[in-house]
Order: sequence, then C-alpha cells, then structure tokens
Amino acid sequence: MNPSDMPLKSPSAAPVATTADPDVTNRDVEQVERALIDASTRLPVLFFYGSAIAWLLLGTLLAGFTSWKLHAPDWLSNVGFLTWGRVRPAHMNVMVYGWASMAGIGTAIWLMARLCRTTLRHPLLLICGGAFWNLGVLLGVGAILAGESTGYQWLEFPPYASSILFIAYSLVVSWAILMFRFRRGDHIYVTQWYLLGAFLWFPWVYGATQIMLFAVPLQGVMQEAATWWFGNNLLFLWFGAIGLGTVYYMIPKVIGRPVYSYHLAAIGFWSYAVFASWTGMQRLVDGPFPAWMITASIAATILTIIPVATVGLNHHMTMRGHFGLLRYSPTLRFTVFGAFSYTVFSLVGVLLSLRSVAGYVQFTEASIAYSHLGLYGFFTMVMFGSMYYIVPRLVGREWRYASLIKLHFWSSAYGVGLMVAMLLLGGLAQGTSMHDPTLAFTESTESILPYLRGRSVSGMLLTVAHLVFAFHFGLMLFGLGRTASVPTFLNPQEEETLEAPL
Amino acid sequence: MKGIVPLFLGIFGTFAFSWAGLILIPNYQIGHLEPQLDEDEKNPYPAPKSGMADRGRQIYAANGCVYCHSQQVRADYASTDIDRKWGERRSAPRDYLFDRPVVLGKMRLGPDLSNIGKRAPVEEESVSPAASPAPASPATPPASPAVNPAPGASPAPPATALAPPATSPAPASASPAAPANSPGPAMIAADTTSAANDKPAPYSAAWHHRHIYSPRSLVLDSNMPAYRFLYEKRRIGGERAADALTLGEGDAVPEGWEVVPTYDAKCLVAYLMSLDQSHPLNELKATAAASSSAPAAPAASPTPAPAKEAK
Amino acid sequence: MNESSPAPERRVRQGMDYGETEDVQQVHAAIQREKREPLVGLEPLSLWLIAIYGLAIFFGGAYLGRYSGNFSGDGLDPLGGAPRPMKSGATGPGAQTQELSQADRGKKIYSANCAVCHQPDGMGAAGQGYPPLAGSEWVDGGTKRLGMIVLKGLQGPITVKGVQYGTAVMQPWDKTLNDAKIADVLTYIRQAWGNKGGPVTTEGVAALRKELANHPESFTESDLKAVPEDANLPGGDAPAPKPDEPPPPPKA
Repeated sequence: MNPSDMPLKSPSAAPVATTADPDVTNRDVEQVERALIDASTRLPVLFFYGSAIAWLLLGTLLAGFTSWKLHAPDWLSNVGFLTWGRVRPAHMNVMVYGWASMAGIGTAIWLMARLCRTTLRHPLLLICGGAFWNLGVLLGVGAILAGESTGYQWLEFPPYASSILFIAYSLVVSWAILMFRFRRGDHIYVTQWYLLGAFLWFPWVYGATQIMLFAVPLQGVMQEAATWWFGNNLLFLWFGAIGLGTVYYMIPKVIGRPVYSYHLAAIGFWSYAVFASWTGMQRLVDGPFPAWMITASIAATILTIIPVATVGLNHHMTMRGHFGLLRYSPTLRFTVFGAFSYTVFSLVGVLLSLRSVAGYVQFTEASIAYSHLGLYGFFTMVMFGSMYYIVPRLVGREWRYASLIKLHFWSSAYGVGLMVAMLLLGGLAQGTSMHDPTLAFTESTESILPYLRGRSVSGMLLTVAHLVFAFHFGLMLFGLGRTASVPTFLNPQEEETLEAPL
Repeated sequence: MKGIVPLFLGIFGTFAFSWAGLILIPNYQIGHLEPQLDEDEKNPYPAPKSGMADRGRQIYAANGCVYCHSQQVRADYASTDIDRKWGERRSAPRDYLFDRPVVLGKMRLGPDLSNIGKRAPVEEESVSPAASPAPASPATPPASPAVNPAPGASPAPPATALAPPATSPAPASASPAAPANSPGPAMIAADTTSAANDKPAPYSAAWHHRHIYSPRSLVLDSNMPAYRFLYEKRRIGGERAADALTLGEGDAVPEGWEVVPTYDAKCLVAYLMSLDQSHPLNELKATAAASSSAPAAPAASPTPAPAKEAK
Repeated sequence: MNESSPAPERRVRQGMDYGETEDVQQVHAAIQREKREPLVGLEPLSLWLIAIYGLAIFFGGAYLGRYSGNFSGDGLDPLGGAPRPMKSGATGPGAQTQELSQADRGKKIYSANCAVCHQPDGMGAAGQGYPPLAGSEWVDGGTKRLGMIVLKGLQGPITVKGVQYGTAVMQPWDKTLNDAKIADVLTYIRQAWGNKGGPVTTEGVAALRKELANHPESFTESDLKAVPEDANLPGGDAPAPKPDEPPPPPKA
C-alpha cells in the first residue's frame, strides 16, 4: 500500500478516526505514513551520508596537512601533489563539494520526502546523481593535486570535473522538483521554501559562474567579481538555505512546539534571499573595482542583520521554556549550536566587511575564521544534528554510545571555537603588523605563527570528532546500533523533566 | 505560503536581481575595457603576456601561489601598501585586462607581487652584486668556478646572472646601483645588501629561482614552502648548465651535480619578472597634483625623446 | 538502556495492509514516539524587531550613500570625486623610470624577457637550442634582420657564429613589447658583451612593424637571408635605405 493512497490528514487536526477500524487513529496513520516514507528514503539518504562522511575524513586529513604545513613549511614539501598550494584548494573543495554538499543533499532528501508527505519516487535518479557526484569530486580533487587547478577559489575543479558535478546535480534537482510537484497538501512549510530555494539557486549560480568564467569569458577583474559572487551565494543560498531549513524543521520537531511566527519566517526568508545574495564583493574591499559594488555588498551585509535577527528571534521564541531539552537531545544540541553560530557568523561578517576594519584584516587569516564559522560552526554542526536525528529512522537502530556522541559534540564545539578564536585574533595581529610600514613584512607572518599552531591543535580536536562520528556512523550502517525504543540521550533522563520523548 | 509559482518567481527574482546588480552592471562598466594608449597612440598598456609568462601564470594559479600572495595594490588612503613599496600607485581594473585566470589573491602570507618584475634590479655593468667585498666566500664551494664562458673582456656579468660570486673583477662598491628600485627596508628582513654574501640580487631571475627552490636560504623568516619539484637535480654533463642554480650551504649539492629549473620553473619566473603595474593610468591621475602628471607621458617605457638623446 | 523488547522491524514493507493494527506496532519505535510534523504559529512582529530593521536599513543605506564613489565605473575611490593626490612620501608614477638611461631600460627588458633563454650573459644555451647573442653576426649586423626576428619570431634552424641551432623556436614579441621597448632592448644587446653595434630607434622599429603588419607568421633563416645583410632600420647610423624598404617616415 502506498501512502499516497492514504487519506491525507492535516497534521494539526485532532485525532479523529476516519477509518472503518476504530482502533486505528489518525496518529497511527501518520506514523505508518512516516514509516513508509522513511523506508523509501533509506538507500539514497544513506548513500549520500556515507559518501559525505568519507569525504569528511579525507577533507580532515587534507585540512591537517594544510594547517600543519603553514607553520612547518618544510614538512613533506618536495612532493608535488602535497605542496601546500594544492592541498589547500583540495581541502576546500573536498569539504565544500564532498562533505557539505552531500550531507546537505542527504538531509534535504529526507526532509523533502517527509514534508511533501509522499514516498520517495525515482530513487534511481538520486543514486545515479550521488554516484556521479562522487565521481566528479574525485576527478576534481585529483586534478587539483595533480596541478590542474583553475585558480578560482571554490571553483578549482577543471571543467571536466565540474561538468560531471553539474550532470549529477541535474539528476538530484529534477528529483526534487518532481517531489515538490507531487507533494500532498496545500501548505508549503518554511523548510520547503528554503530547500526549494537552495535546490534552484545552486545550479543557477554554479552554472552561471562556470559560463561566465570559462565560456564567455569575463574580462579581467570581473572574473574575480564573478568568483566571489559565486562564493558568497554558495555559502548563503546553498549551504545557508539548507542549514536554515533544517533548523526550522529540527527545533520544532524535536521540541514538539510550533515555530513561533509565520510572519517572522516569511520576512526572514525573503530578506535573506535578497540581501544575502548581494554580498560577496565585500571580500574585495579596496581592490581594483568600482567602489559602489563593494559598498553595495557591504550595505547588503549590514542589511543581513534583518534576516539574522528575525530568524534568531523566531528560533529563540520557539525554544523558550524548553532549553532544558538541550541536556538530552543530541540533535537539539548540535542544531542549536549551529543556529547560534549562524548569528555570530553574521555579526562577524558585518564587522569584517566595514571598510575601516577591512583595512586591517583584509588579506589576513580572519577571513578563514569567517568561512569556517559559517561552514563548520553553522552548517556542519546543523548537519551533524540532522544526521543524529535521521539515521536511526533509516536503519532502525539507535545510536550505540551516548559517550561517543558527547565526545563528538564537545570536540567539535571546542575545536571550531578554538579555531575561530585563533584565526580572528591571529588575523588581527597579522593585519596590525602589515599595516605598519616600518615593520618588515615577515613580521606579520611571524606574528601569526603561534595562532596557526593553535589552529593545528583545534584541528586535532576536530579530527577526533570526525573519527568518532565516522566510527559511530559505521556502526549504525552495519546494523550494530542499539535496539531500543528510547533514543540515545546524552544524559540519563530524570523522571520529572521530560514531558515527551524525542 | 500558498502555491509554488510565487515561490518560484521569488526565488528566481532574487537570483536575477543579485546577478544583474553585481555582475551585469559592473560588467557593463568595467568588463569591456581597452588598453590605454599614450598620446601618440602607441604603447598600449597593458599588453598581453608572452608565451612563457602566460604559461607561468597558469602554473602560478595551479600551484596555489594565489593562496598566499596577492597581486593588488591598495590605495594609499586605505592602506600602507604603497608605503611598503609594493607599488607606485594603486591597482585599477585596467591592469588586469588580459589576465586569465586573474590572480588578484586574497591572502598575504607572502608579500604582494603586483610589481615584483619592476623591482628586479638594474645595476651598473661594473658592479656584480654577487660580488662580495670579502673575496672567496666559503659559502658556495661548488658553485664558485666561473664555468660560464663569460667573455673575459666584458665587465662583470650582470646581476641577473646565476653566475658565481668572487670571480668578478671589480668587487668594488658593493652597493647595488639603482637605489630607486631596491626594496625598502620594509621588504625583506634578511640581507638587504645582497653584496654581503653570494646571494643573487633580490628579485632578479636568479633570486626567484633560488627563492622558489629554497625560500629560507634567502629570507630567513620566510614561511613559504619549497617547490623543489619544479627543479631537477642532475649530473653535470660536460660543463655546468648556464641556468643552474647557485645554492647556499644548506642546500648544496654534491660535487658534479647541479640543480636546473624545469621548463615550468622558467615559465613561472618569466611570469614573475613580467609583473609590473607601474605604468601610470589616466583614470588614476590626481588632478590636483600637476607636478606628478607633468613628467608628461610618464610611460614606463621611454618616449622617443630619450631614445634620440641616447643616439 | 538495552531492553529485551523485540527488535522492531528494520524496514516496513510496502505492501502493508492498512487495516492490520499490529503492523502499527511494528513501525519503528523512533517514529512511534515522534511528535507531529512541525507547524507554524502566527505571533505578530515585535516592536523591537522593527526597531532593529530600522537601524539596519539606516546604517546600510547611509553606508551605501556615502561610500559609493558616485556609482561610476571609474569610481575606484569610495568617497567619489577626482582621484586624490598621493600622500607625500610615496613616489608618483613614472618618477622612477625617468632616472633610468636607455641602457638600463634595455637591460631590464632583456632580463625580464630574453635572459630566460639567451642567458644573462648573452651566451645562450647550445644544448637547448638558444643561440648566443654575444658576438653574433645577426646582432651586430644590419638592424633590419634583427628587428624582423624580434618582431615576428624565428622558426627553424639558424646558424650563428658557425654553429647551427635548430631545436628551439623563438616567439614573436610584437604583441608583448612596444616599439620603444624593442628599440631599447635591441640597443642594449648591440652594445653589451662586447658587441659593437649602434643604437636602434623607436621610429625604426615602428616603421618595420608597419611594414610587416601583414606578415603573420614567424620568419625562417632563409626569409632573413633574403634581406640584405646590412639592411638597417631608419634612424640608426645606417647606409642608404635599400629599395625594398619604405622611406623612413619623417619624425621630428
């Protein structure tokens, strides 16, 4: 029996028996529906998750190289494919296209299926898409390490690899459109706006940029403008949108309360779409560009305070009174950490983009801190949270060791916190030193060395986190999770606190 | 929100809005620039780079040099780039017309390179900056024999020679000429007077090769990785190759061996030597400072007038 | 918390009959305890939030207004207006090159472009097919042949000082170097390393460039030999122009 044949129940309706059998309530109907949906999403989502985690491990290894070689440049320096200048873009691309994108697509698949309330149709589209995506990333990273990087940041894959990614993606997005087309119910939930946006924005932005850089091609500094237009749109309209959409689902779902306000959600979404897409040029402050386009991006960055405040308030008010659940739910912990990081990330972005500040921190490691705060502190942590929620529903087991989840959380949290702190402070030190022309240039690189070593330490914490998570996920994949009807809480539950299980 | 159509239109609209604003309009403004011509309609600036230099740019981008080095000089009211002598003026869109990929760079773990070709040394013929006042510096035994069939009659080999030290006839005034071009004290922490030892003059081709091969042999505090895979260590066949590197103590190769640059390394250095943004641009000329624009067609390349005088 | 409850079904089969209530119990425990899918409430906008919007719009707008350089494509300066004069202490453009003599300029051009192959000492590299320039008859002789080589490049073997060099190809420099630069560098090589040639002028190079404007490809040795050995470009200390040369354009 196909859940599409089941009578559609609005989730908010009071349980009313509509079937002949009075023992079966609407709640049961919903549950069966969800069970079937989850079962249908099992293979594609686990495929994307597994690939993503594998890329995460590779990316972490490359990150270790990147970080270490910055303060120990002679380490393994004579090997061509391990030279820092190739390992760094390889790390970035593996993390962006391998880990983050695939984790995002995996979560988005499950969310779309659940929210469209129909089982996943055409799983083959997704599996093929995932396989091609893996191939594209593999080819691209190999090309970068072999010395064929294009030189454009986050677009280093040579055209033969990026076109495979594009093919892969078109398979995924056509699936998403189909799901959306065949969704049940009138109401389009907040998460679906964000996911639909993400699924459409990414190919448009990526495709347009590839065309502008390689087919047109743009002349001179416009290439750099296109590169950073792409970079920020990728960060906000692809990763940010998937991340925010996931937060909008996970928080109310886990807590069992509705999102605070529809109006805030709508304002938050549209102002985000308009303002965040106009950022990007602030990374080029004082560069060889007409001042107005840089200032427009800075103004847009300032204006992103609007969606950030709106969404932040929305989530905060949704969670008000339920912060105690953070003690127990891994999903909630990671998700709230991510949502909080998102706010910090946006404020840091505003600060770094102001011309007076940028004069000091431009060209320093501070921009790396900013990128990692967004991609790791926000997006990756939200993805971890969603995986902790979704995977048990796909494999039918619970996470085996609460201690491993705690280790994962704290290593990740401290790791990214330390990294961001080190790089922001280091960037400030570097920038201040560079700004003083009486100091030799090498003084600025000397000044940041201790912070780079601190960053390597934070990298070790993150490596621990990822290894632990990968191991734990592997256990789940091979059916070695706990069999239980209660989820894995982070702390033993006390009798009087929990109003409802998670 | 009801309906997928308004959602779709909104999503598309925001994409189109940002694309139009940040790409289409700026492209209309600065995306179709032409090189600037002098008053006599000659000397277009910039000129596209030659074969080796162009390939050098690909190598520069593919090996990630752009992740540590920038190539944009910021204005003097916004930064101290010009005070650091990284350029004589700020960079403008017109400087990058023919660059593909354009490697503006966003990080400075290494100094800015926009004008590094311009900062290559020009010395008097009589002085070999490779010369040391103290003869026979023991630092480079293997490299010292002047295997180069330097014509004996000619003055000391030019500084750009990867040539050996100590054999030059006139270790005279060791200070390299053209102080205008020498890097300011803000540049290199290590030897600013290259005459102190056998190191090649800063920013000469020889210096670049050695710097890429072994950065810390020239700049003590450098954090740059070595790119030895761009060089080849081989036996000296017959006589020492003309472009073999002169290496310091730490990297010395055994007797009978030499280190030569591969074609890629040569292209990379050719590219670096071609980086020069000093040509003045009309759109950047300050209207108030008549004096700075009076050195008339202050072209980086000489106008016919001086050429006539030289004749 | 491992209990002995029966392991729930790993997967719910598609063909499940809706009416079977005990199948519901076989639905995964996680789903059973799940809350309903999320809803959205309808709380109104708070005044504080509107205040934040106002502030953001104000600052963003003010920033945009002040720092936009008049929205012009030439406006690199965010404050707009004419380009500001450089602060004292920074040298203006062009000032440095004034101090360089033609020999210096030529040498710099040579170091930057030619030394890579022909070597800083002008000796070339026989093993790689780069002929020497020091003492070369092509350099010391007529400037027309020399100009042709540099402008359009050279393909195929060439004999210099009795030795044939065949393996390398010399690229054309007409697009990369302008007339003045070519004149400088030719002057330099004709006076360096013991060469005794005279200078080359910019007008001469310009005239040759114009003459060769329709000649697309590189020259070969035989092309060069077709031009008389002592043919010179106008402007240098040269004999009378040969018939195949256009009269030198009059230049002040």
